[in-house]
Amino acid sequence: VKSVLLEGLLVAFIGAVLAFAANALSPNGLSLTRDYFPGAERPHPLAAPATRPAAATAGTNTTQNPATEALAARLEAKGLHLAQGTQVQELFHDPRRDQNLVLFIDARNDEHYQEGHIPGAYQLDYYHPENYLPALLPLCQAAQQIVVYCNGGDCEDSELAATMLRDVGVPAEKLLVYGGGITECDKSGFPIEINSRNSGKLRAAAK
Amino acid sequence: MSEVQKPESPARFGKQRILDAAKILTRWILGALFLYLGLKKTMHPEAFLKLVRQYDMVSNPMLLNAIAAGLPWFETFCGLLLLTGVAVRGAALMLLAMLIPFTLLILKRALAVASAQALAFCAVKFDCGCGMGEVLICHKLVENCVLMLLAGWLLTGGGRQFCARFTVFKRA
Repeated sequence: VKSVLLEGLLVAFIGAVLAFAANALSPNGLSLTRDYFPGAERPHPLAAPATRPAAATAGTNTTQNPATEALAARLEAKGLHLAQGTQVQELFHDPRRDQNLVLFIDARNDEHYQEGHIPGAYQLDYYHPENYLPALLPLCQAAQQIVVYCNGGDCEDSELAATMLRDVGVPAEKLLVYGGGITECDKSGFPIEINSRNSGKLRAAAK
Repeated sequence: MSEVQKPESPARFGKQRILDAAKILTRWILGALFLYLGLKKTMHPEAFLKLVRQYDMVSNPMLLNAIAAGLPWFETFCGLLLLTGVAVRGAALMLLAMLIPFTLLILKRALAVASAQALAFCAVKFDCGCGMGEVLICHKLVENCVLMLLAGWLLTGGGRQFCARFTVFKRA
């Protein structure tokens, strides 16, 4: 028994050292010191499991839904605003979008972004901002309106990314968080672009 | 092998060989499973971070990051040890040390979800952070119990064939 315990301790020690070394070397590694959820008030911890469909239904991101209301209240407390589906549609067709005065920002990781994003949306992976923020920040400073989105439903990444943009100096009044996210876009027949930004390749909308 | 073995009857010898083969297979299955699940999580540690956060087990961000950053690689390491047959009992002990608390946390969260949403316990479904996406928690708990039994069985020794170094400290 003693030798098994000693062996276990040795495995634990060597494993822990190697695990943190691998995390430090991995391009996907997490920073150990960063607070990824600053001032975190986790949205409805038990009442909204991943099984539940996205909070808003197609084209109607209303504040009737308790989860949406909670999101709106959290955003309001941070000086940010919730974007409704109709407002996002209008901003998408706004001619200012062609001049980068209206920006769409996808706060998801590369894999999800490549699978489908709002056409012309810039990527800002909240967990690896160092790869995106230097190029994106000047555009955000110059833009008049910025819509940040992620998957929708219980996805927090858009809220976190918008908060991060606010914290690096982007005026909060420009920032809109689209709670319905890509799920709502897909359901409401929005065009969805695949692969890289402005690839021109569109995905068929979900039924 | 320097072990001194007593002569055994053919039936007992045959049974021992079957047990040894079963143990080797168990070691490979557990090793491959943990290697796969660990590596899968290392691809998207931020997704694992969000899932670990759901359990509310730690409030300190650095501790939360350390768990989410280290655990997938540690799982991978233990899986690799089992596959190659190095420090088998130590690695099996570490699997138990990961499985027992996580199974209890899953159970606790599933009970809370069932109560909050007035669901039958076996209808509760969520991504538990185990690397298999969204699963029925009833099934996951049974699966984890089986994995714990198998890891516990490896602790009893035996099945030393195809092991690079079964015991680190000395050969029994």
